[in-house]
Amino acid sequence: MLGRNKSDSGQVLSGMKAKHQRYEALVKAFHADIYRYAFWLIKDQSIAEDVVQETFLRAWRSLDALNDEKAAKSWLITILRRENARRFERKQLDTVDIDDCHIQDDTQHADGDLKDRELQRLLGGLSLEYREPLILQLLFGFSGEEIANQLGLNKNTVMTRLFRARNQLKEALEKQNEQRGRVNG
Amino acid sequence: MDELEFRRRIYADPETTDSDVVEAAKEDESKRSFWNEQKQFDKQLKQALKVDVTEDLASKLIWQQSADEFTRYKRRSRWYLAMAASVAFTVGIGLTMWYHQPLSLGGQALAHMQYAEMEHAHSLLPVDLNMVNAKLASFGGSFSEMLDGVEVANYCHLSTVRSLHLIVNTPQGKMSVFVVPERGDIRVPSEFKDSQYRGESIKMKRANIMIVGDKDADLSGIKKAVSERIQFSA
Repeated sequence: MLGRNKSDSGQVLSGMKAKHQRYEALVKAFHADIYRYAFWLIKDQSIAEDVVQETFLRAWRSLDALNDEKAAKSWLITILRRENARRFERKQLDTVDIDDCHIQDDTQHADGDLKDRELQRLLGGLSLEYREPLILQLLFGFSGEEIANQLGLNKNTVMTRLFRARNQLKEALEKQNEQRGRVNG
Repeated sequence: MDELEFRRRIYADPETTDSDVVEAAKEDESKRSFWNEQKQFDKQLKQALKVDVTEDLASKLIWQQSADEFTRYKRRSRWYLAMAASVAFTVGIGLTMWYHQPLSLGGQALAHMQYAEMEHAHSLLPVDLNMVNAKLASFGGSFSEMLDGVEVANYCHLSTVRSLHLIVNTPQGKMSVFVVPERGDIRVPSEFKDSQYRGESIKMKRANIMIVGDKDADLSGIKKAVSERIQFSA
């Protein structure tokens, strides 16, 4: 009886240990890209970090619900999107008009060389509905179908948005080059 | 596939492996170069997306998890603590009730008799009616007339009950009279005895009186004298 209890608690302990290892593996594998996703969604470093922390806390608490390691990425993205949405609910409760708030756009301060900074500024300038699918595609290598599943849209809508996103970026770049050309010439 | 459709498909997904897109690119040099250009652009975009991640973010995430686990563990152990406290409380109540169950004083009086042999007056004052009545007053009683042969009048404790103990010299030998206040938690048997002594009690309104003498002694005389002479104010 005692012996069995002992081995039971041993199993619980090793179960806990396995859960910790699993969580740490999850953090190591995904925290960077999940943070970048949050950053491009929110465009503010510190808010993005907060949301990522909330996300991983939720992930830890419901880690047992994650059965398929392959699904981990999209599972985390789902949690993060929910956490981000909650942020807006909270904001609304505070009855602050979102338009009155000057949200600092950190995308312009992001590091990188000139070319990167320019692209970052343009990416940050895309509206969220175009920006989000593009980021899912570029950051996580999601297919159109996977993006559609993740965002709850149909695939055609997603493909259209992806097309428009790149189209807008290209047009903006060409416009800049024209202006620069004119100034230089 | 026309130019516009091809561009739409490539813009939507530069990594596409759709066979019609691949076929169209094979047939058309300009489409191929447009595609390569897009792939290059995507590389730049991917590069631009890789903003710096705070160095200690991963450690923060692992740390907050252990902190969360700790507070949850604390909450859990608080629950156990509450459970333990509740059990201790119940045991405490139980013990108190057990402790407070009615005391049977017969045995206590008999046990006290063992010491009565050695007992002598704590007071240097002579044992007279005034002195006995002064001591009885705290029980609300008094003797109208002094009992004959009272040698000692001491307060004593039978278990937790303070009582007045009179040692009386009678023709039947030394006897003890215990005056015990009436209390809800005391039970006084009407008769009790052991191998050496026997006792009887008189139940009165505000007190119980136990008379203990030698096991062969006749207690009726002193019992009568006490019950006639003692009175308790209402």
